Amino acid sequence: MRVISLSLAALLSVAIGLAGVMLSSPVARAQQGGDAPAAQDDASHQPSSRLSASDIARMLPPTDMGAGAAMPHGMPAHAFDDGPATPFDAASIPPNPLAPDAQPVGAKTCIACHALENVQASHGLHVASFRAGSANTGPQAACEACHGPGSDHEKDPTKAGLIIAYTHDAKTPVETQTRTCLSCHAGGARQHWTGSVHEARGLSCTDCHNPMLRLSPEGALANDSINEMCATCHQDIRAKFNRRSHMPLPEGQMSCVDCHNPHGSLTRPLLKTDTVNETCYTCHAEKRGPFLFEHAPVRENCLNCHDPHGSNQQTLLVLPVPMLCQQCHTNTRHPNDLQVPTNLSNGPTPDERLMGRGCLTCHANVHGSNNPSGSHFHE
Amino acid sequence: MRTTIGRTALPALLGLVLGALYPATADAGDTSGSMRVGDLQYGNALDPTGWGPLIWPKDPAGMSYLHAGMLRTPSGVLYPFPGSAPKANPLGPTTDWTYTGLLELGYVHVGGDRDAEFFRQYSGWKNGPVLGLLYLGFYNPRTGGFADLRGSRLSADDQYYRLRAGRYGSYRVEAFYRDIPHVVATDAYPLWNGVGTTHLTLPAPLLPGQSTPAQVAAVESQRPRRTIGLTRRRSGLSYEGTLYRNWIGYASVVNEKRDGTRLWGGPMFFSFPGQGLTGAALETVRPIDFSTTDINLGLRKVGKLWRFNAVYTGSFFRDHKSSLYYQSPYHPTPVVPGVPAAGIIDQGQFALEPDNDYHNLRLELSRELRHDGELSMSAAYGTMRQDDTLMPPVDCTGKGGFVLGGADYTFNCADWNTPAALLRPRANARIDTGLLDARLSFHPTRKFSWHAELRYYKEDNKTRYLSYNPLTGQYGYISENGTQGTVVPGELGIFDPKNPLWWSALTQVENMPFSYQDSVFTLAGDWYASLRDTLSADFSFDHYQPKYRERTRVDEPRLKLSWAHRAEDGPTVRLSWEYADRTGNHYNYDPYEQFFSDTLPGYVFGENGIMAWTTDAMRKYDLSDRKESKARLILTYPWGDTATLSATFYGNRDRYGADVGRQSTSTSGFTASWDWQPSPATSFNANLGVESTRLKFANVADDEALIDASPGQADPSLGGPLYPWANYWWDVDRERDYNAGLTFMHDFGRVRFDASYNYIWSVSRLDYERNSDASLTYPQDAGLLPPPGTVGAFPDNHYRTSTLDLGLDFAVTPSVGVRLFGRYEHGSFYDWHYAGLAQSLVVGNKVYTDVGPQQHYSVTLLGVMLTMKL
Repeated sequence: MRVISLSLAALLSVAIGLAGVMLSSPVARAQQGGDAPAAQDDASHQPSSRLSASDIARMLPPTDMGAGAAMPHGMPAHAFDDGPATPFDAASIPPNPLAPDAQPVGAKTCIACHALENVQASHGLHVASFRAGSANTGPQAACEACHGPGSDHEKDPTKAGLIIAYTHDAKTPVETQTRTCLSCHAGGARQHWTGSVHEARGLSCTDCHNPMLRLSPEGALANDSINEMCATCHQDIRAKFNRRSHMPLPEGQMSCVDCHNPHGSLTRPLLKTDTVNETCYTCHAEKRGPFLFEHAPVRENCLNCHDPHGSNQQTLLVLPVPMLCQQCHTNTRHPNDLQVPTNLSNGPTPDERLMGRGCLTCHANVHGSNNPSGSHFHE
Repeated sequence: MRTTIGRTALPALLGLVLGALYPATADAGDTSGSMRVGDLQYGNALDPTGWGPLIWPKDPAGMSYLHAGMLRTPSGVLYPFPGSAPKANPLGPTTDWTYTGLLELGYVHVGGDRDAEFFRQYSGWKNGPVLGLLYLGFYNPRTGGFADLRGSRLSADDQYYRLRAGRYGSYRVEAFYRDIPHVVATDAYPLWNGVGTTHLTLPAPLLPGQSTPAQVAAVESQRPRRTIGLTRRRSGLSYEGTLYRNWIGYASVVNEKRDGTRLWGGPMFFSFPGQGLTGAALETVRPIDFSTTDINLGLRKVGKLWRFNAVYTGSFFRDHKSSLYYQSPYHPTPVVPGVPAAGIIDQGQFALEPDNDYHNLRLELSRELRHDGELSMSAAYGTMRQDDTLMPPVDCTGKGGFVLGGADYTFNCADWNTPAALLRPRANARIDTGLLDARLSFHPTRKFSWHAELRYYKEDNKTRYLSYNPLTGQYGYISENGTQGTVVPGELGIFDPKNPLWWSALTQVENMPFSYQDSVFTLAGDWYASLRDTLSADFSFDHYQPKYRERTRVDEPRLKLSWAHRAEDGPTVRLSWEYADRTGNHYNYDPYEQFFSDTLPGYVFGENGIMAWTTDAMRKYDLSDRKESKARLILTYPWGDTATLSATFYGNRDRYGADVGRQSTSTSGFTASWDWQPSPATSFNANLGVESTRLKFANVADDEALIDASPGQADPSLGGPLYPWANYWWDVDRERDYNAGLTFMHDFGRVRFDASYNYIWSVSRLDYERNSDASLTYPQDAGLLPPPGTVGAFPDNHYRTSTLDLGLDFAVTPSVGVRLFGRYEHGSFYDWHYAGLAQSLVVGNKVYTDVGPQQHYSVTLLGVMLTMKL
């Protein structure tokens, strides 16, 4: 307790000290205080400062869609065409169901307003690779390959829905968002997206990814780590990794996607292999066997005894031994005796069934034995 | 001058490397690396993300000139502010290649209880220099060519290096090497010499089979402390690229070497009866010397209508120490007073895991259909095999067992300690698997979609093994190297149809080739009630058909209802509830009779019948009836423009139809997290979690006095003579878990400060209750326990850690920075399994190795890192 108090005291001291520093921070002041007056100014001058659609159209640069020969400006936009599915320079422009008559305008027009977005996106893997792919073939594979044709948005930029958007305040249906991403990213790891639990729960690709920013050096994630990304929704699972025995996620040696494919799979828990056991065997190949003598619940499903995310027992077990085993082993003689605290090592009648590794002290080969005398897993 | 050399030599070197890697291929899609299990995450305890220094500092410009702050994900979570892009330096005047780089080097000092098990569990912390991060990135914006090298090293057992190179949209190669530590005990005192080998021998002056507990305790107390654990050393190489048009090929090979030790066992028959001195229970240490090679070969195509994927997965596991022999300081003693053992059995053996080969071929085909539909079909075939040479049934010499009243219950070790004692010399074990999956989905209107899926999986164990000794004509095996038959008359483990002493012996004579088929049908529909709301219903029917188990059919219909609400100006709510009702056909409490000696010709049934293996009221929880309900609410609430509050409420309830066995489980929990990021310079997170779980099961102690003495031994009924209600007992395990954390970061410009505090507390309590003292092994303890009918409890187990991390980053120059960081971790732990072992690891004829994790520990970690942008 004393140490916790010390830690808390240290933390409080740091927090109080830094609160003062932060409040006086010029950066924070600039960011927080600087925005508020601007917003007020905007509000107070709104009637006279709001641009009309014709104002915007006049101010925007002419489209550059004609610069490349592959997709002239007047060409109707349609996604999911016969073109190759993945090459960047042939990416097509997806239709926006909320702006069905919109036409492509080209990146030059987009960037006229979205200048900083252009800068940030250029640092990200997605846009950088996209640009590289289209370097020799013109600008058609640009903003509108993901955001749809921009002419309606250009005319009325404040009206939501006229451009395919991927954020919380977007009017674009999630299905349109994911469909647009999948027009290039279908197949492979996303072969089983359709019907997956994440699709069913209405997740969009951009709930986990953000191709417009460099938030993670790999994977175009929407956070700086895979595990933190998954924990956005699965906080209870992340908490399990805090327990006494756990997979090494907090230590950075593993991530959720080492076992799970969040894009869908052939199993309900989104495992990458055919079964739970096959996933476990990938790293624990010694457990695969087959053994001369098999242990039924082990061969059936590792989760019968283990919680793969974390546990308060040794080796991810769901109950302490021998109680874990006694749930099934009611067999005559030694398995079905009630174990009580007097049977602990410091009690009057120490019992090896309760002490240390309990049952496993004798039945050490509980995952299966290849010994001709190993039917009870103790050889 | 040095700069000039660097700028000319480096492009040339890189050109050679990339030139060798650069095939003339068409553009291709993204990679398939995420389809494989493992090796997607590279990090360590110093930087769990594996790229921390690369995403700092944050860009003060933010994301957009059009709005302040950051936008949110579709679900409402704020995107973090982007990091400042690293400066891309040209590799030379005549090339389009640019490079960025970062090197973080430093020194770490660990003080206090630095060998604490929970501090070191998966972290190779050591005093000394560390490589925080080495990053080199090369990029050609014209061609999309790239090469990335990332590495970090805490110690020789905790490091990683990974190189990726290729051309975006065309191909990628990857090579990596990594070491991952796993410490399982740091307070271990193995009694034996030869730890880490296949032969454990007793140190002098102990003699196998001839030592007393006092002598063993005296030697044990002088044994050196050791750490038990292993290191995974993995290396891999992979490639993916376009082969022809839209056909993409991918391949990888990963090799893993695992070296180390694990805690293991050493049975010499029970020690607990007879004042703990009849047999011996030994906690030994086994070697880990594994190598595994995984191969992955695939081919996929993505077209307008068709998507195809074919992948072969192969795994080849080799155990270079596939046996363990250990000496015992004790020899087993017959339970019959005054009767001497026929010989001294003073050693034991284990067969460790055999080598195995695994092959799996999977084909996946999807086709887009009208009405926004898709048909997806998958098929897979797998086979796992091993054919290791089998060990002889025993490794004893001389004779085992004893002579009782003229009855010769002995055996000659020479008849069993040879491969000739086996019907066949090798395992010839094999399990085949098959998978068929078909999924059909349609989205016929904007308001409605549905999908149906049928999945069939089969696992067929083809291993057949008969325990028969051609030398003696006996079936079965010598149990526990002969120790059981040396303690209990007649319990050698063999059946002999020609010998009256053993023609009524009930023993397992065949392996049990557990197999199963599982068919799951799913029908689900989604109704998009509005742009904000989606209602979903998912019905599945699981038809499970195990073989050689208590049930041959288990059915589980399951209904899941979900509501997802997402408002562009409000919270996102995801609520789900599901209910499942598992039933099955007749439950056979003893389906294993066919593998036992009473089914062999010549078996003579005794006058008391066959002992009931277990009570007929027993229900194993993987096959028993079960009613399950689950509910979950995930809430994401955008809090103003700069914060997000997210919370999860969840609960599970399971009720099993079992008088004996697992009866119920329940879990309730709550988590909350508040993220605040008022500016690129500042971020704060507070999180909290509480979870409560409860599990109840019941059992019944048999009346052992009836065994081989009364016809009542054949009665399996609960409440009958063998399993009387008086012997009925039950346990309830309750666990509560709490976690709380605070994380704060602020960038002052030249100085960045970060702090985090995390608190974890788990406490578990095991209650027991009994109908009478007859359920106890030692009725003499009854006076020390609460009376029957009242609840008793084990001491509470707990695991508690509090960790404070502080860090300061100073920008010395735009390219050079210094990071000072520290961690203080305090832990508290108790587990009654280890109660008393700190006083002595020798308890009667029981010898333990592990004292258990430290009950209290405090560790201070200090480090200084120099960060240089290259």
